[in-house]
Amino acid sequence: MDFQSHNNTSGNKFVCPSDRQLALRAKLRAGWSSSKTNEPLRPDEQAAIISVIRRNEEIETAERQRVGRLVERVEKIKQRAVEGGPNCCRLCGDTFGLLRSTRIICEDCKKSVCAKCSVDINIRYHTSDRTREIWLCRICSETREMWKKSGAWFFKGLPNYDAPSSTNSTPTHQSASGGAMSDVLLPPRGAQSCNNTPTRNVRVKKLTIHVDDSSSSEEDTNGGGGGGGDVVDGAISAVCAVAPLTTARTPNRNSFNADVSPPAATRMQREDSFRLRTFGSIRSFIDSGERKLSNSFFANRQSSRTESNQQDYDTISTASTVTSVNNRRESNCNYTRRSSVSSSWSISGESSSGNSANTSNHVPNHNQVNLHCRELLGWLEVAVSYRESVHSLDCVMVRARDLPAMDAAGLTDPYCKVNIVTPDGMTKYSRWLRTKTVHKTRNPEFNETLQFVGVEPEELGGSSLYVAIFDDDKYGHDYLGGAKISLSPVHNTNQYRISVPLGGEDRFSNEAEMSQEWPHGKILISLCYNTKRRALVVNVKQCINLIPMDNNGSSDPFVKLQLKPDSHKNKKYKTGVKWRTLNPIYREEFYFESSPHDLNKQTLYITVWDKDIGKSNDFLGSLVIGYNSKGERLQQWLDCIKLPDHFHEKWHCLSGEHPTH
Amino acid sequence: MAGGGDPKWQKDAADQNFDYMFKLLIIGNSSVGKTSFLFRYADDSFTSAFVSTVGIDFKVKTVFRHDKRVKLQIWDTAGQERYRTITTAYYRGAMGFILMYDVTNEESFNSVQDWVTQIKTYSWDNAQVILVGNKCDMEDQRVISFERGRQLADQLGVEFFETSAKENVNVKAVFERLVDIICDKMSESLDSDPTLVGAGQKGQRLTDQPQGTPNANCNC
Ligand SMILES: Nc1nc2c(ncn2[C@@H]2O[C@H](COP(=O)(O)OP(=O)(O)OP(=O)(O)O)[C@@H](O)[C@H]2O)c(=O)[nH]1
Ligand SMILES: [Mg+2]
Ligand SMILES: [Zn+2]
Ligand SMILES: [Zn+2]
Repeated sequence: MDFQSHNNTSGNKFVCPSDRQLALRAKLRAGWSSSKTNEPLRPDEQAAIISVIRRNEEIETAERQRVGRLVERVEKIKQRAVEGGPNCCRLCGDTFGLLRSTRIICEDCKKSVCAKCSVDINIRYHTSDRTREIWLCRICSETREMWKKSGAWFFKGLPNYDAPSSTNSTPTHQSASGGAMSDVLLPPRGAQSCNNTPTRNVRVKKLTIHVDDSSSSEEDTNGGGGGGGDVVDGAISAVCAVAPLTTARTPNRNSFNADVSPPAATRMQREDSFRLRTFGSIRSFIDSGERKLSNSFFANRQSSRTESNQQDYDTISTASTVTSVNNRRESNCNYTRRSSVSSSWSISGESSSGNSANTSNHVPNHNQVNLHCRELLGWLEVAVSYRESVHSLDCVMVRARDLPAMDAAGLTDPYCKVNIVTPDGMTKYSRWLRTKTVHKTRNPEFNETLQFVGVEPEELGGSSLYVAIFDDDKYGHDYLGGAKISLSPVHNTNQYRISVPLGGEDRFSNEAEMSQEWPHGKILISLCYNTKRRALVVNVKQCINLIPMDNNGSSDPFVKLQLKPDSHKNKKYKTGVKWRTLNPIYREEFYFESSPHDLNKQTLYITVWDKDIGKSNDFLGSLVIGYNSKGERLQQWLDCIKLPDHFHEKWHCLSGEHPTH
Repeated sequence: MAGGGDPKWQKDAADQNFDYMFKLLIIGNSSVGKTSFLFRYADDSFTSAFVSTVGIDFKVKTVFRHDKRVKLQIWDTAGQERYRTITTAYYRGAMGFILMYDVTNEESFNSVQDWVTQIKTYSWDNAQVILVGNKCDMEDQRVISFERGRQLADQLGVEFFETSAKENVNVKAVFERLVDIICDKMSESLDSDPTLVGAGQKGQRLTDQPQGTPNANCNC
């Protein structure tokens, strides 16, 4: 690493002042903003801090294991549950009736349980000393306990945990088994709190976690998340940011962890849990029912400008609509029931079907997706210099490290969008500058200079540089991470070089995202794997902003669909034609027979056409979504396989390219 | 930076026999007595020598509260600004904050608002805060009256204690109170009457100041 350069020349060594001096200084001007000190940490200071971080590591490891055990406990109870439908006890299967057990409805899951299998608890009223009695089935009462004991109640989602080793024979990256489970099977936090945040905050009964919204001043928090290991991560980042390490290595976690005690296997697994902070909501424990993602793309975008960080909290609410789920036991496809928290199914990772040698790459690697909205999204190194003579700010996007993976192979195609944020919190330029895309890497070397002209010297003080990194893809650019870098240290003469951790979405990243143009419009698609009919259900909901093709400034759009490869029938479908509109609404459903296993190797081709009578139809746009998609598309595909019998809905951008296949 | 090889913390740290784990953070200007406060609580020791904390440190202590065992991981942060990037990285994981000033040091009191901004910027949304005026044993040098401290706490909507790490005044009480507040929040979030959640609560969340300072001081 060569970012030493931003710091002082030899003369400026930090000398530890005597205790007395320090005490005096504290008396006089105190610690607050006495100085703009940016002295790098001395080696002994670094060592001290690192030793604390290591001590903490041990605690974190133990914590992850403890939480893993808590989760497993609930899972075991869930596994033993009979789930025989509304007329018998969810747990023991006893049927209800006049002479038989009385039916008790669990407060949380609203399922029927018998008295033996439930507990009553007293809940407090806040306004008075009264309490009220409620009944919970054993699963839900255990879940509440687990929610408390793990700290999930506070972080509004389960912290990372390591599955107990018994179920964890091969903690590898390759398959969705073992230790990585926790990350894989929990509803991805990204899906809940990023783009698909339900707009209406479905504040729900019972376990609603109360949010005080005194957050008006928090516009630029770095995404959500909390607890657990990220602290370590963050701290290490901070150490790196402050102190150019003597080890001269890339500022990633590994430079510290490399020689920390746990054996390689666990380390790998831990690496996962660091990287892949996904959060489950308590809802997923209580209610394995509907998890319909809201579809209001635009409303959502708007609201995210004002309450981007609050949404994180609001959306992690609990069971709202409790629809009884089909009895999954009846389905007998390639699923194995895992001790998964979300009580969803996981695909047995084996791909014995005689594919090419690199099959493993093709099995979607769940671990590496769902990465939005974690707090540590990698690193960005920039070098900024100002030329007063021409009032130009030259920003070199040097490189980024450890960006989130966006495709099944664990790669990303990143580029940066850059703007200046003025002291009053507005972007200075309406047009964002962007770098070229660096393909297929999570560690891009951009080395590209973006020049902002018309920057007055006095502007530098209060302004910052905002860099948002996106994944370049035909069907939508997924946000990878962003950073706001204060420009006050930038001076006329020398280059200011800094390495910063990337954070989650905020209103600037949203602005950068919205500045993208999608000339071909968007499409709303809802996917569901129906286990009864053993089919992928595709609901084509609507399109917006399609291109006008006809002389009247409009089009007559319809949508064609095909799933490939399709061993069954090679079925093709199309929707009806919507005449004279650029924003057609279809809401038509199509069934493609398939197995979850096959879906892991299939791709859905969606094309939009303008119906022309008498001549050939005009192509309007396309969307390809499947196992080898990226970002949000891949996410939706995997969600659909992971959580069958639920609709997973997302907006996608249409590409102007006809998919060649 | 004591505590590293100390067998006592190791015993506590390794102790897996507990129900809840709370992470607490002590913040405040340099020399207000954060480290002394923690040492008093965890080791029942005090020294008048001042060794300014380097970056961060923590101690672990398991306490009983309402027949539950609560393991506390208490982070002691450096007040000096040069460590700010490191210390703020730990805000995210903290359920509770002890925000400390020194009753003999006006500046440390004036900084409270800035620390509050740091909490709001970096901490998890529902973290609980207690304001603490330390060194109350030094009556002759006191510059911040109890009343001023209490008023500020009221304004911020947090609870308030005056303490002395030296004379062991209120040290335990502060931790116990913070643990209680967090426990309350926990049961509120899970076992409370749903219709009332979200209505006016006497929580320890920082209330927003009307003059809300924009927090442009993110220096990352
Ligand atoms: N009289 C008196 N002195 C105290 C008390 N608490 C701390 N001190 C003294 O104040 C000085 C600073 O205490 P520390 O605990 O090291 O301060 P700190 O807040 O940890 O400072 P940083 O680590 O730099 O942030 C030391 O000399 C302590 O002995 C107290 O309650 N009463
Ligand atoms: Mg200290
Ligand atoms: Zn029963
Ligand atoms: Zn229940």
